[in-house]
Amino acid sequence: MSQGIRGATLRRLLRDRLGLLGAGLLVVLLVLGVFGPYLPLGDPTAIGAGPRLGPPSAAFPMGNDELGRDYLPRVVQGIGATFLLSSIAVVITALLGTLLGIAAGYLGGVTDSLIARIADVLFAFPALLFGLLAAAVIGPGSVSAIVVISTATLPLFVRVIRSVSLSVAGREFAVASVVAGASVWRVMVVHILPNILGAAIIQLSYALSIGMLIESGLSFLGLGVQPPDASLGSLLRLGSVYLTVSPWLVLIPGLVLALAIMSVNLLGDAIRDLLEPLRGRALR
Amino acid sequence: MSAPAPVIAMRGIAVAYRTGPAWRRTLVPAVDGVDLDVEAGETVGLVGESGSGKTTLGRVALGLIRPTRGSFLFEGAAFDPRVRRQGALAVVFQHPEWALNPRLRCVTSIGEPLRIQGQGDSAERARKVQALLAEVGLDPALAQRYPGELSGGQRQRMAIARALITRPRFIVFDEAVSALDVSVQSQILNLILGLQQQHRFAALFISHDLAATRYVAHRIAVMRSGRFVEVAPARKFYERPDHAYSQALYASIA
Amino acid sequence: MTPVVDIRDLVVSYATDDGVTRAVDGVCLSIARGESVGIVGESGSGKSTLGMAIGRLLAPNATLEAGDIVFDGRSVGRCDAAELRALRRHSLGFVFQNPMSALDPTMRIGRQVALAIGGEPEAAAICALLERVGLDDAPSVARRFPHELSGGMAQRVVIGLAIARRPALLIADEPTASLDASIQGLILDLLLALCRDTGTSLVILSHDLRMVARRCRRVAVMYGGRVVEAGDSREVFAAPAHPYTRALIRAAAGNEGPGGRLEPIAGVPPVLRERASSCAFAPRCADAQARCFAARPAEVAAGGRVVACHFAAGAVIAPAPAAGGRA
Repeated sequence: MSQGIRGATLRRLLRDRLGLLGAGLLVVLLVLGVFGPYLPLGDPTAIGAGPRLGPPSAAFPMGNDELGRDYLPRVVQGIGATFLLSSIAVVITALLGTLLGIAAGYLGGVTDSLIARIADVLFAFPALLFGLLAAAVIGPGSVSAIVVISTATLPLFVRVIRSVSLSVAGREFAVASVVAGASVWRVMVVHILPNILGAAIIQLSYALSIGMLIESGLSFLGLGVQPPDASLGSLLRLGSVYLTVSPWLVLIPGLVLALAIMSVNLLGDAIRDLLEPLRGRALR
Repeated sequence: MSAPAPVIAMRGIAVAYRTGPAWRRTLVPAVDGVDLDVEAGETVGLVGESGSGKTTLGRVALGLIRPTRGSFLFEGAAFDPRVRRQGALAVVFQHPEWALNPRLRCVTSIGEPLRIQGQGDSAERARKVQALLAEVGLDPALAQRYPGELSGGQRQRMAIARALITRPRFIVFDEAVSALDVSVQSQILNLILGLQQQHRFAALFISHDLAATRYVAHRIAVMRSGRFVEVAPARKFYERPDHAYSQALYASIA
Repeated sequence: MTPVVDIRDLVVSYATDDGVTRAVDGVCLSIARGESVGIVGESGSGKSTLGMAIGRLLAPNATLEAGDIVFDGRSVGRCDAAELRALRRHSLGFVFQNPMSALDPTMRIGRQVALAIGGEPEAAAICALLERVGLDDAPSVARRFPHELSGGMAQRVVIGLAIARRPALLIADEPTASLDASIQGLILDLLLALCRDTGTSLVILSHDLRMVARRCRRVAVMYGGRVVEAGDSREVFAAPAHPYTRALIRAAAGNEGPGGRLEPIAGVPPVLRERASSCAFAPRCADAQARCFAARPAEVAAGGRVVACHFAAGAVIAPAPAAGGRA
């Protein structure tokens, strides 16, 4: 066993075709989302650029919305917004959740009880109800969407990190470090944190897909991204009115949302299988 | 001139765990009244089965668990966790796969106790690590590897190197050879013998294996259900121990 | 009389991320009816693979590359799924190292015993089996769940499950390694006594040569995927012919006297990638000579034993007459 470990890992990842599919899709969507505004895909703001509710045509590959705007750049903008909001929220969840989870798992006692109870309370709140609350307090928009997504994904993440931290804290190298005089901080940062990263990454990938769902739900209710900005959820909202007349206004963002969530989940599954393979003894 | 105080002096140590639901708490004694001294240069073997309390006693000796009753003196004074930062204590555990942090290079893991002490810079630490690897019979080049690239025996040697690097006065070997193959086990047992003769640390060798323990220990305490049933020189366990339980253990290796 | 199991030139390899590893490199071994055989080896010797191969209980990445295992006249390597199931159900019993993982944690002991016996046995039959394995108060034990039993009791139950149908062969993989040292002897004696009573052949896989030598009739010592020495267990232990067996005895704690010294075996066990073309032990052997690195030692029959060493004939000492009878 040498650098062969990394090589073997890479080889296994490449063999997982579904994971590769997920990764590929994700890359395409991310590129569109990030670089979309700079690509010559059309102007998402030009009202009346084409016929109102125009069907997909050569000039407008995804048709036109109710104000005659080119739908393709609108959808691309939507991808970007959905990803951006969800990612920011997930980053917040990651930082806060890791800190709280490790503290709860390693320090135990009162700290653990406190954090666990708070997580339980948050867990009990349905995300969309929280969304209404946040919108009422902060006002609807991107910020409240980020707050809601973060709050909704935090409890499960803290739980998982807490339980993994607990098991790592009991491992012999961590105890040996304590015997050698290591401070609590050192054990948490040097020993526990690097060894929970695998579990954290897996959980974060699922949190991202949940986050996108929540964001879309909030925007669909009008609580998330506000016009004229678009997210996939708000596009669904605006388009749902014209479902019978111009179904592509709903079908296209819906399909894209489904693809985005599926790609994140596929990739997350692949990473999970990589880091925690099920080594079973199957009889032949 | 009076003899120096033993490195470890325990009197009447008892450790009890609380179990059961909140309205019906019971106290389960893991260690039930134990006296033990370990002198410098001496290895005391602690033999017993899982559930005998030997692991708990080992943790008390490292200051990781506070006993419910009894006194624990380290070098004549009440145990103060701050002696850990002096590098006075060390431990070698059972499982080679968890002995070292898999995310750190061996040189970092082995040098960590020095880093905690705040001594020297990284170059000096690396030098000490190399010296120690030679002492435990490892190729110094292995320092740059990750634990996952080493065999079980090599990892245990690394763990022993880390245990020695601060020249501790007391080392606990907690089932340190139990997970090793026969041929590797004998290498590690010989290593422990040699290192102790050279460095004169006090040691507690915890094991369920009487054969391995009597080879390295000067005295052996046989533990059962939280109590010592017999404490005798190791030589006695080559002939015939006194207590019935010790005899049963002896019979299984005869 | 046909042997219960006849292993012929067996070769088993594993496909891993690092390539192909050869775990069993040509093993010939046969086990007679009612015989007890101990297979002794360290990790990497191939003993677990050999033991599991008899019931074809191998991991999915294992391949039976060559040779065969003939069980009661039928080929295990080539039989179909239905035959294999029948074989495992009726003719084979297994006892593994960790009793807690062998028992279903959600099922009471009595029910598990009933399933092992087959059909719909009466409570009396269930209790009779539990008493046979030395568990007092059988009705109470039958009502309990596995986690309520101690390790020793659980392993007794596992042994009971294994012999419930009087299988032709019982394979025990380190059956006492995770048990209290003071009862290891009792559990092993139970295993041997039960097998004697039911006429079951017994294979014990272990790393402890001394323990096996005291109880099994025959012992086979494995190294590098091959059987390096096999024969009457007490004779092998008293006068080992193969250098590895000798080194193993000298290295194991417990064989030395007070003040004696353990002699470790320098080096590490080999990892085979292909058929070994020389002696696998040669790099670590104190008596190795040029021939050991050049040619693969054949298995030589000498003095009632089989030894895979170029210098076997001269090494086998006429064994001292075994004191007393066999247990």
